[in-house]
Amino acid sequence: MIINVAKTICADQWRYWLRTKVAATVLMLGAILTLAALVVNAFHIEEAAHAREHLQTEAEARFKAQPDKHPHRMVHYGHYVFRAPTPLSVIEPGVDTYTGKAIFLEGHRQNSAMFAQQRQSAGLTRFSSLTPSFLALVLAPLFIILIGYGSVSREREAGTLTLLLSQGTSRWQLILGKLLALISASSLFLLPLLLACLYVAFSSESPLVVLLFCLSYAVYFLLWATVVTACSALFEKSSVSFIVFIVIWMAVCVLLPRLGSSVATNAAPSIGKLEADFKVEEKLRSLGDGHDVNDPAFKKLKEDLLAKYNVDSVDDLPVNFRGVVAQYSEGRQAKVLNEFAEKRMGEELEQAYIARQFGWLSPTVAVRAISTILAGTSLETHHRFLKEAEALRLEFVQGLNKVHVEKLDYTLDMNRNASEEAADKAVVGADNWALLSEFSFKPEAENTRISNALIYFLQQFFWVCISALLLKAAVRRLNP
Amino acid sequence: MMRFTDLKREAGFVFGHRQIKLTLLVVFLLSTVSLWSGYAEMQEQQATIERLLEKDQIEREAVITHQSNYGMVAYYAFHLTYAPPSPLAFAAVGERDVFPWKHRIRMLALEGQIYESDTDNPELAFLGRFDFAFVTSVLLPLFIILLLYDLKAKEREARRFELLNVTARNAHAIWSARALVTLVPLALVTLIPFVFFGLVNGASLPSILTVCAIVIGNIALWSGIVLSIGAAKRFANFSATHLASIMLGVWIVTTVVVPVTAHTLINAVVETPEGGDIVLTQREAVNSAWDKPVEATWRAFIATHPQWADYTTFNPGRDSSFNWKWYYAFQQVGDQAASELSQGYQAATLQKDTIASYVALLSPSLLSQRLLSSAANTDVKAMVGYENDVRAFHQALRKFYYYHLFKAPEFSQENFEALPQFTPNTKTSHENRTGKEE
Repeated sequence: MIINVAKTICADQWRYWLRTKVAATVLMLGAILTLAALVVNAFHIEEAAHAREHLQTEAEARFKAQPDKHPHRMVHYGHYVFRAPTPLSVIEPGVDTYTGKAIFLEGHRQNSAMFAQQRQSAGLTRFSSLTPSFLALVLAPLFIILIGYGSVSREREAGTLTLLLSQGTSRWQLILGKLLALISASSLFLLPLLLACLYVAFSSESPLVVLLFCLSYAVYFLLWATVVTACSALFEKSSVSFIVFIVIWMAVCVLLPRLGSSVATNAAPSIGKLEADFKVEEKLRSLGDGHDVNDPAFKKLKEDLLAKYNVDSVDDLPVNFRGVVAQYSEGRQAKVLNEFAEKRMGEELEQAYIARQFGWLSPTVAVRAISTILAGTSLETHHRFLKEAEALRLEFVQGLNKVHVEKLDYTLDMNRNASEEAADKAVVGADNWALLSEFSFKPEAENTRISNALIYFLQQFFWVCISALLLKAAVRRLNP
Repeated sequence: MMRFTDLKREAGFVFGHRQIKLTLLVVFLLSTVSLWSGYAEMQEQQATIERLLEKDQIEREAVITHQSNYGMVAYYAFHLTYAPPSPLAFAAVGERDVFPWKHRIRMLALEGQIYESDTDNPELAFLGRFDFAFVTSVLLPLFIILLLYDLKAKEREARRFELLNVTARNAHAIWSARALVTLVPLALVTLIPFVFFGLVNGASLPSILTVCAIVIGNIALWSGIVLSIGAAKRFANFSATHLASIMLGVWIVTTVVVPVTAHTLINAVVETPEGGDIVLTQREAVNSAWDKPVEATWRAFIATHPQWADYTTFNPGRDSSFNWKWYYAFQQVGDQAASELSQGYQAATLQKDTIASYVALLSPSLLSQRLLSSAANTDVKAMVGYENDVRAFHQALRKFYYYHLFKAPEFSQENFEALPQFTPNTKTSHENRTGKEE
C-alpha cells in the first residue's frame, strides 16, 4: 500500500519535471555530459594504455639490444619505466594527470616522474575536468538540487500538500514518493557510470572493488537525493530551500576539498625533492664516491676483502675490485636514498590524510578518497609505482655491478683508459643485458585497496546516518 | 538619475537583511583565508629558495676546491636555478604548482634534466588550489547570483513591485541603486583583504590596482549577466528560483562546459610530441656516442661550434682514451638530436595556451583567472619563460666550460670567479603584464 501511493506520487513528480523545461534541460545536460566524459576518457585511457605498453616494450628491447659494453656504462645508460593506467581510471583518473607517467632509472640517482599531463592543459582544467568522477561528485549534486529543491515545498506553496495529506496520504508515503522520483532522476547520471563499471568489471579489475566503487557512487547520489528531499520538506518556502542548497553545495563540493588541500599544505609542509637531495648528498659525502676505488671511505672494504681471499693486493683478487666498490657503494647509497624517499612519501601521505579528514565535513571529499583509492589512482598507488620503479632500478644496477665483479678482469678494467684498443677490451658480452626484468605495473591487491579505503567508507556511513536523521526529522515535522 | 538619498535609503534596506550581511561576511572570510593561505605558501617558497641558495653555494664551492680539473668540476657542480614568486603570486598561484619553479642543473645534456619536476604533493594539486584567483573567478559569480537573482522577483513576490515602481521618482534608479549598494560592499569585502596582503607583501601599487580592476571587471560582467537575465522580457513570468536556475546554468556552461570542451578539442587539434620521446632520443644519442667513432661526435659538434674546430685533438699521453672535451661534446650533440622534438613540445604548450586565451573570451571565469595569473606572473608564459631562462643559463655554463676545456688554461680556483651565476627573472608583475582588462 505504502509503495503504491509512493509510486503515484513519484510518477506525478516525473510528469511535473517533464512539463517544466528547467528540469528536462538539466536532466538532458547531465546525461549528455556524463556520456561525453565517459567516451572521451575511455578513448584517452585506451590510447594511453597502448602507448605506454608500447614504450615499455621498446625501452626493454633497446636495453637488451645494446652491444658489448663496459657494465658500468649500462648502469649509466639506464632504463625507462612507464606507468599504465588502471581499468577504473576511465572513471576516476585521480592524481594520474598530476604525476608524471615515466621515470628514467639509472645508477646513483633516483629521478622523479616526468611529463605530467596537467602541464599541457593550459590551465583549462584547473577547476573542472571532463572526467566522469568530477561530473558525478561535483556537478551531479548541483543538478539534483536544481531539479529537486522544490519537490515538497512546491506542493505546500500550491496548496496541494494539505489536499494530499487530508486525502489519507501518510507523510512517509509522500516523502518516500518524492525521494523515489529524485533518486530515479539522479540515476540518469549514474547509469552511464554503472554501465562503464560493469564493462570494467568484466575486463581485468577485481569485481569486488568495482562493486564497492559503484556502491560508493550510488550511495553518494542517494545521500544528495535524501538531503534535498528532506530539506525541501523542512523549509517553508522553496526560495529559502534553494538558497540553502546552493550554499551547501558550494561549501561541500567546491570549497571544503580545496580548503582541505590548503590546510594540509600549510599545516604539514613537506620539503621538496631538491632540498631532500642536499640532505642525501650531505649524508652520502661521508660514504665515498663509488667511481673512485682510492677513496679513503673504501679502505675498510679493501682490507676486509684482502683478508677474506688471503691476498696482498687488489690485483691478486679473484674478483674485480672496482666492481665490488661500485656494488657496495650503490647498495649503501640506495639505502640513504630510500630512507629519504620513504620520509618524503610519509610526509605526502600525512598531508593527504589531513586533507581527507575533511571527509567528516564533506561527503564529496570522502567519496573522492574512496574512488581514487579503489580505482588505483590515489597517492598510495603512485607511491607504489615509485617504489616498484626503485626496486627495479636497484635490481638491474646491482645485477650489472655483479657482472662487473665477476665477469670483467680487474687489470683490463684499470687499463681501459690507456687507449681505444684497451677500452675495447674492457667490456662484457651483450648477453648479460638479459638480466633486466620486465616491468608491468599493477595497483595494490584488492584487499589492500579496500582496507586503505575503510576509514573513508566510515565517513560515508556517517553521512548516511546524518541524512537518515534529516529525513526522519523532515517526516516528523512535515506540516501543510 | 540616481540620487544620494535613494542610495542611502536602499543601503538601509539592503543592510536590514540578515541574509545579505551574512553573505558579505562569508565572502570576506573566504577572501581572507584564501589570501592568507597563498601568502603563507609563497613565504614558504621564498624561504625554501633562500635555504637552497645557501646550500647550493656551499656544495659548489666544496666541489671546486675538491676537484683538480675543469671536466670533473663541470660533472659534479650543480647550479640552482629558480623562479621566485612574484609579489602577487600569493593571490594567483596559477601554474606554479604544475610547472617546476626550481631546478638544479649541471653541464650534462640539458634535455635529460629540464623535465625533472619537483612539484608538490600531487593529491593536493588534484584536490585543487584555494587561492584568491579561485575565489574571485569561480566562487564570486555564484555569490553575485545569490545576491541579485531575486532583486525584482523578491519584490514581486512580496507584492511591493508595482508600489515601488509607482512611488519612486525614477523607477529605473531604484533598481540600479539597489544593485549598486549590494555590489559595492561585495567588491569591498573581496578587495580590502587583498589590498592589505598586497601592501604587506610589497606588491607595487599599479599591480595591485590591476588586480582590483580585473576583479571589479569580473563582478561587473557577472552582475551584467545576472541583471540582464533578471530583466529579460522572455523570463518575465518566471519565478525567482526559476531565474536563478537559469543563471546557474550560465555559470555551469561558461565555467565548466566551455573549458573542458575546449580542453578536449585543443588536445585533439594541437599535435604534441610525446614527452617520453624527447628524453629517449637524447639518451640514445648520448649513450651511442661511446660506441661511435670519435669523429662522428666532433662533426656534429663542430657544425654548431665552429670556433672549436681546431681544438678537437687531444693528447693521448695525458688524457688517455677518455677525454672531457669529447664527453661534453657528445652531451651537446645529444641535446642537438632532441632539440627539434623539444622545441616542438614547448611550442605546443604555448600554442595550447594561446588557443586557451581565445577560449577565455567565452568564459568570464576563465578570463579572470587567466588575467589574474598573468598579472601575478604565474601563467604558462611565465613558467615557459623560466624554462627558457634555465636554457639560457645552461648555454652560458657551456660557453664558460668549453673555453676552459678547449683552450685548456692551467686549472686554478680563481678562474671559477667567472663562473656564470643564475640570476632569476625578477620582473615585477606590472612590467610584464600581457593581459588587458576585460
